[in-house]
Amino acid sequence: MDDAEIKKNAEFLIANMKGMEIPGSAKVNVRYKTLVDFAKIYGITDPKYVGPEEQGIIACHGFANHFTVKALYKLLIGMKLIQDGKERPFLLNPGRLLHAGNEYNWEGCVDLKPGDKLNITAKWGDVWLVEENMILFAKLHVDVKNQNGEFVCRPIVSAAVRPGGY
Amino acid sequence: MVKVVDLNVGQEFKNEFDGITRELLRSYAKASGDTNPIHTNDAVAERAGLKGIIAHGLFSFGFITKLFEDLLNQEQDGKILDISVDMRGMVRCGDHLITKAVIDKIEGKRVYFNVSQTTITNVDIKDKDGNIVKQFEAGERGYITDKDIAKGLVHEKEVPEGILTYRERVATPGTAVIELFE
Repeated sequence: MDDAEIKKNAEFLIANMKGMEIPGSAKVNVRYKTLVDFAKIYGITDPKYVGPEEQGIIACHGFANHFTVKALYKLLIGMKLIQDGKERPFLLNPGRLLHAGNEYNWEGCVDLKPGDKLNITAKWGDVWLVEENMILFAKLHVDVKNQNGEFVCRPIVSAAVRPGGY
Repeated sequence: MVKVVDLNVGQEFKNEFDGITRELLRSYAKASGDTNPIHTNDAVAERAGLKGIIAHGLFSFGFITKLFEDLLNQEQDGKILDISVDMRGMVRCGDHLITKAVIDKIEGKRVYFNVSQTTITNVDIKDKDGNIVKQFEAGERGYITDKDIAKGLVHEKEVPEGILTYRERVATPGTAVIELFE
């Protein structure tokens, strides 16, 4: 892909993606074992996060990584746009995608528990190009709700795509 | 119990982790669902130009949330409201990961922190004649770049076996907000 095509693609995505909702949703079923295995990676021993199933546990905050990454793969890889009358994926080469940062907001959110069924949707925020290295940056605002429609977490993912990937 | 009156601007909280191994990253891959082989398979990572596996971008994040969970006595003393991080430097097996949170401001029961995660990467230990007596993964695989040296990130210090060369850099700067109950 030459520089002119890379620039043209970047301009198209900047003009069209901001505020765009990503079609569909990702579903994540939260299992007791997954929560415990995740918490143990970080040496967490408090029974609130790793205690017996029958006593009831909740997810440690780091578990937000689990559902965010799962949702990202599903939502971004499947996303399509129409450019010059032709359908194209957002990511032309997923191998060029970089994870540049994350914000997790839990204000007003409920705890995440085993058995919860998460519904994850997302829409694009700001999209911009750093011309020095032609890396395209985009903010993805994610809503994570449980089976009762209650917010569990509101992540904002910063994605960066290297030239050739968009 | 942690209360607002016990906290001051500039106060620092810290945890350190010295156990980043291939086995741990395989466990994290399974638990997180991020099974990209650049985090678990050296051959794949080398083909991607990475010289060896790198930790998942969000792997280190769990040590930030743990720091605040511990500070808040597993949220018996308050709630974690927001944590935001930029992922700037790769974290690798053998790195010593230091997570720090420094209080930036306090507004009512809300406490705002600047967060940073620093990696210490050991390269090698040389004797007084400059012979390598111990080489670490970063030295074997060439993780340290000329750019690291130019940026002044590579240092030396005396250790019992000789002179240790290591790199120290901030991998993850960020911010956090908690709200205390009292």
